[in-house]
Amino acid sequence: MTLSEKYRIKKFSEAVERDKEIAEIKKFLNDFPKKKALILYGPAGTGKTSLSIVSALENNFEILELNASDLRNRQSLEARLKPATEQQALFKKSKIILMDEIDGVTGTTDAGGIQELVRLIVTTKYPIIMTCNDVWQLKFSQLRQKAKLIELKPLSLNAIFSILIKIAEKEGIRSGNDFLKQVAIKSQGDLRAAINDLQSYSANYDIEIDMQEKRDVEESIFNILRKLFKNREPFLDLFDRTNLSLDEIMLWIEENIPKEYKNIALAKAYYALGNADVFRGRIYRNQSWRFLIYQNIFQSAGISLAKTSQHPATFTKYERPRRILKIWMHNQKIEKRKTISKKYARFVHCSTKRILRDFNLLKPIINQEDVQKKLRLSEEEIDFLNKN
Amino acid sequence: MSNTNIWTEKYRPTKFEEMVGQNEIIKRVKSLVQAMNIPHFLFAGPAGTGKSTLALITVRELFGEKWRENYLELNASDERGIDVVRQKVKDFARTMALENVPFKVIFLDEADALTKEAQQALRRTMENYSTTCRFILSCNYSSKIIEPIQSRCVTFRFKLLEKKDIHKIVKKITESEKLKLSDEAFESLYEASEGDCRRAINLLQATSSISFDITSEMISIIGSETKPKDIRVVLDYALAGDFENAREKLLDIMLNESISGTDMIKAIQKEIWNLQIEPELKVKLTEKTGEVEFRMIEGSDDFIQLQSLLASFVLAGQGKN
Repeated sequence: MTLSEKYRIKKFSEAVERDKEIAEIKKFLNDFPKKKALILYGPAGTGKTSLSIVSALENNFEILELNASDLRNRQSLEARLKPATEQQALFKKSKIILMDEIDGVTGTTDAGGIQELVRLIVTTKYPIIMTCNDVWQLKFSQLRQKAKLIELKPLSLNAIFSILIKIAEKEGIRSGNDFLKQVAIKSQGDLRAAINDLQSYSANYDIEIDMQEKRDVEESIFNILRKLFKNREPFLDLFDRTNLSLDEIMLWIEENIPKEYKNIALAKAYYALGNADVFRGRIYRNQSWRFLIYQNIFQSAGISLAKTSQHPATFTKYERPRRILKIWMHNQKIEKRKTISKKYARFVHCSTKRILRDFNLLKPIINQEDVQKKLRLSEEEIDFLNKN
Repeated sequence: MSNTNIWTEKYRPTKFEEMVGQNEIIKRVKSLVQAMNIPHFLFAGPAGTGKSTLALITVRELFGEKWRENYLELNASDERGIDVVRQKVKDFARTMALENVPFKVIFLDEADALTKEAQQALRRTMENYSTTCRFILSCNYSSKIIEPIQSRCVTFRFKLLEKKDIHKIVKKITESEKLKLSDEAFESLYEASEGDCRRAINLLQATSSISFDITSEMISIIGSETKPKDIRVVLDYALAGDFENAREKLLDIMLNESISGTDMIKAIQKEIWNLQIEPELKVKLTEKTGEVEFRMIEGSDDFIQLQSLLASFVLAGQGKN
């Protein structure tokens, strides 16, 4: 057993710096079913899972734990969770349903997973506790409305330091306080990382701690683009460290290729991106999710290898994808054009699409007073015709 | 003649005798209609050659005053899938026909916009309601309609209207609307209409809103409104190596003029031959264009494929391929 597992808290009273949050959790369980679900959110190693488990232990509840990796789709989620939310627990014990790391439930591989969770919250007879890192993602918007939210901030340096001293004592790790302090600093508030480091370094604690070495944390899209465009490597797992979906990443790449690549590299990169899109089309049409592998390879390795050599590590200012926003803004602007075309199309036995295409030509025809009346155009629509 | 200021409607023929062109087709349809029993029809042919008009005349002749109650018009390219089409057909077909004809008529315009799978479903629907309904399908290319549907229909192939036909129609309108249209202006009108009668009439009316004395210059100005403009600008940017401006402009054009990716690539394909580059490069670029058009069918985002094509133009601008 790892030390971080061994020293997981077993009672609320063992927790450090979590009094306020624990009071909130207790309130949630007492008030149930006023709110039926709770989301504990915050960075790694702040006690999300531990506090969820302790909530069950303290109340003598059964705990039914599900990881994101258990879920592949709506059916399997429903099959596992639904009986649990509807049946009585063994020996009349109540239970808590724990959905750990819901960040991993994505729109693609766990099709309908989030929606199913929302539905289950409505029907459940037992409290549901969920944990995640970033609760403010768009996909959680419905969940946020249904659940109580409690944030767990990174632990203070002192808190981690004091915990490390206790563990070192119990484990007989005879390292100096300076060493423990360094481990605590490096952890940046991630207690699990701190304890893991303690374990791995304690065997030979006289070695220098590499403060530069970074844990595997989420990388910003800007860093990912930097690696992709500057380095020349057959990247395959580059996108594993971001919460963005492959489709979102594709938009970022599309926007920024011309900032880095010129001429042949430019053409090759867009060709690779086109390949990725072709496989995406096949996924959409046939639900062949296996093709995600190809989409991933073309938009990672395909893009990186489009150039003939490494690029110098100079600074490039990458832009957010602008296309979708532009399309959206445009659609807002021409919304009236569509509604007018629709009314006109019905009148002249023609498809709306064809009218839209010829809209500029037809404008003077539609914009006659008696035609406006006949088509029952609204004031806003007439206004649109006069202005554009 | 209906009382409206939309000329395509105002001058839409309402009797077989008023139709211009398509003489053979009209003769055959007329004799079928007069027997008060029609099979399913498939009207194939280019836009603006009289398919919808003939369908409307057919139901008017069959049902007289009550034609609206016995006629359903659907446009396959506007309906959101075959399920919607089926539901509408079902609701419509449930009740008996009025008047002394034992069936109703459903006109499904642009039937070639339906996928093969949707057409299979449509074929079932046609069978299920064949006792109470007749279908008139219209399409641009009958080859895009699956074999089983074709075999259930009597197919009529509409030809592009001849110049003299369009002239006859236009003359009737100019006389009635008291317009002046020189022979030269008519030539421009005919050329800009590309044999599409609806387009010719729309052009005429749009131009008449500027002046009653129509010149050939006016026609060409108004006519260019509906062609994807500035494609040349996009390609010139790309050939000069300015990829970012090229794609910015491309997106603007597609949005402002509601042009789909496939329409855009067709326009690019035509424009290649007007560019000032080596003929060999034109062939190479055409090959690329064809490939990208093909990939669009398989892919999901036309604009990504178009950017790939623009990048090829950047290379061509430097004499590479």
